[in-house]
Amino acid sequence: MTPADGAAPRVLVVWCPAWERGTETDARAFEQVVTLVEGFSSRVEVLRPGVCAIGARGPARYFGGEEALAKKIIDAVAGLGMACQVGVADGLFAAQLAARTPWPGRAVIVAPGATSAFLAPHPVASLGHPELVGLLPRLGLQTLGEFAALPAAEAASRFGSAGALAHRLARGLDPRPLIPRPPTVDLSASVVFDPPAEQAEPVVFAAKALAERMHANLAARGLACVRVQVQVICADGQEITRWWRHDGLLSSLAVAERVRWQLAGWRAAQDAGGRSATAPYRLSGGGEIQDNGIALLRLVPDQLVRATGRQLALWGETAIDDRVARAALRVQAMLGHGSVTRPLLAGGRSPAGQVTLVPFGDAADPLFPTGRPWPGRLPVPAPATVYPAPRPARVTDESGAAVTVTGRALISAPPAWLSARGEPWLAITSWAGPWPVTERWWRPGSSRRQARFQLVAEDGSAWLAVVQDGQWLIEASYD
Amino acid sequence: MAPAARMAPAARMARVTEASPGGRRDGILSGGAVQPGDVVQSSDAVRPGDVVRPGDVVLPVLPALRKLLPGGGLYRGSVVATGGWSLLCLALVAGASAAGAWCAVIGLPYLGVVAAADVGLDPDRVLLIADPGPGWPQVVASLLDGCELVLLRPPDRPSASVRRRLEATVRGLGGVLVVAGDWDGAQTRLLVADQEWAGIGAGHGRLRARRVQVMADGRGAAARLRARWLWLPGPDGSVTIADEIGAARSWPGTRSTG
Repeated sequence: MTPADGAAPRVLVVWCPAWERGTETDARAFEQVVTLVEGFSSRVEVLRPGVCAIGARGPARYFGGEEALAKKIIDAVAGLGMACQVGVADGLFAAQLAARTPWPGRAVIVAPGATSAFLAPHPVASLGHPELVGLLPRLGLQTLGEFAALPAAEAASRFGSAGALAHRLARGLDPRPLIPRPPTVDLSASVVFDPPAEQAEPVVFAAKALAERMHANLAARGLACVRVQVQVICADGQEITRWWRHDGLLSSLAVAERVRWQLAGWRAAQDAGGRSATAPYRLSGGGEIQDNGIALLRLVPDQLVRATGRQLALWGETAIDDRVARAALRVQAMLGHGSVTRPLLAGGRSPAGQVTLVPFGDAADPLFPTGRPWPGRLPVPAPATVYPAPRPARVTDESGAAVTVTGRALISAPPAWLSARGEPWLAITSWAGPWPVTERWWRPGSSRRQARFQLVAEDGSAWLAVVQDGQWLIEASYD
Repeated sequence: MAPAARMAPAARMARVTEASPGGRRDGILSGGAVQPGDVVQSSDAVRPGDVVRPGDVVLPVLPALRKLLPGGGLYRGSVVATGGWSLLCLALVAGASAAGAWCAVIGLPYLGVVAAADVGLDPDRVLLIADPGPGWPQVVASLLDGCELVLLRPPDRPSASVRRRLEATVRGLGGVLVVAGDWDGAQTRLLVADQEWAGIGAGHGRLRARRVQVMADGRGAAARLRARWLWLPGPDGSVTIADEIGAARSWPGTRSTG
């Protein structure tokens, strides 16, 4: 039934739409879902917070078919108060797309052998490969079906190893054939903590060095791993094991990050109370495991494939200094993953919209790219202080009446006094505006009508204020 | 666009500005007559390199700020206090950031990243820690280990022992701690003494540039009080030297003659 070449196994993907942005708290909360799915199959693979996968064949046979299995999972996750979508297909890629197909409350099940037909109408953007996604549509290949229709050899010679991989995906095959026989050498890396580590921080530290060792070992043999198994063994013998998607793409830092998520989720489950019997890594009657240290950390590369190499960009990628990464990781261990961010300039009109904050270690693209024209955006110089949430303010004229702006951008009187909420009144010495801004009027949810002002107060401070729905808000200050 | 030269009335000072629209303004003082358009470096100032190296004693700053700081830059292992949060804090760290140093910004969730980038800070080498929490001294110490520059707005007033411990960390690791606030043991203190916005009137124009007087003093080599007029920010968001005299009405870029 399945093709002999790279026989893609049946895979079930659980996708929770709420986790599109991964922060630590998210990763921790997702642990509940993973634990629940673990009740259906012992080998849950976490692709990233919000998405996990299991092999569908065995559980489906046990629970009475794929449809019944998917329904059980959806109901169980709904019982946690979360929404999820489930997809079943040949191979992980198709199953992920199936899970993302909007069909609330139902699982999308692609029949065995029908994967390539299911994939065909999807746009090539679903390959998730930024270069190919830009290139293929320009060559007239809009859908996966059109791309899959190319001869495999042509795809490989034209688009390189990445293209060959993508072509296999588009045809509904597994991206890389597995190396059939596991190598005889042990490629895992482990570290023993003596005395057992009580805190997550030293374990995460060690994980980075371990991941480096594991990567070096793999690289020396020309291999990469599809998944990495993170095994944590506690002093009293209990074991927490997770599989994380790797695909030969994760940096050592990213592997350490996965270890931290895993530990954070485990701690959260412990803190959530000893009564939940579903947590598989809890001792049955254990009450004293709170002060139980971690004795061993092991990283096991799983599903070895030939490394096809990964070309680093020649320009445009700032290499992160090891020392900086270590410092950031340490602070993240103290305060949480989302506490250390790197700013990314994005396109937008308001000062807050021009910046996206990305947690350290994550890669992200701004919602709106920079370098495009944004008519009506703020003129330079930009304000030095941008309030994350605009501060309510009051602006009045000489007589003390609030200044209003009409629909045709006419003001009721020149502004004379300004007071941010709770602060003393300041006399306005000069001002400019109103500059009307009407954004995304075609989308009811995010449309905005504002009138912007620049106000300079008697003490020399300069403010950027807006009037929206009759309310004055201070967006930013130029000091 | 003719270069404009204006002689400052202040004793022993001759100031040269090079008026090029949107361009950097460089050069300055130290004694005798200077030809318009010359870029003059005072001989005793340490000339900071273009690239930050671990062995450097001084981290580079923007050219406009060199004369305000002893040694022409930020001494490694020192604490610089700025009295409060303002664009001046960003301007102080921008020179080193542009030269390749990493900068951690702690306790400033309202930092305007666009303004920071315009001043010269490289956003690719910035770490933002918006809320360091009650254990902020530990966070500062951790980040000093990785970054040459730490810009800090302390969430609360540190005790003398916490302060001394952080100062020792700064000295030991050779970083620079820029405090957006007061810091009793700071080697250098800078503050904005006077400011005036240009380009905006009563209901017309827009904010174009701000002319500020920055005063600097401190301890040891920095004890002498220094003051400079700067465009902070200038019309393109960068920091340049402003004329000693002359009103903010004539912001750089619209000036036609000297």
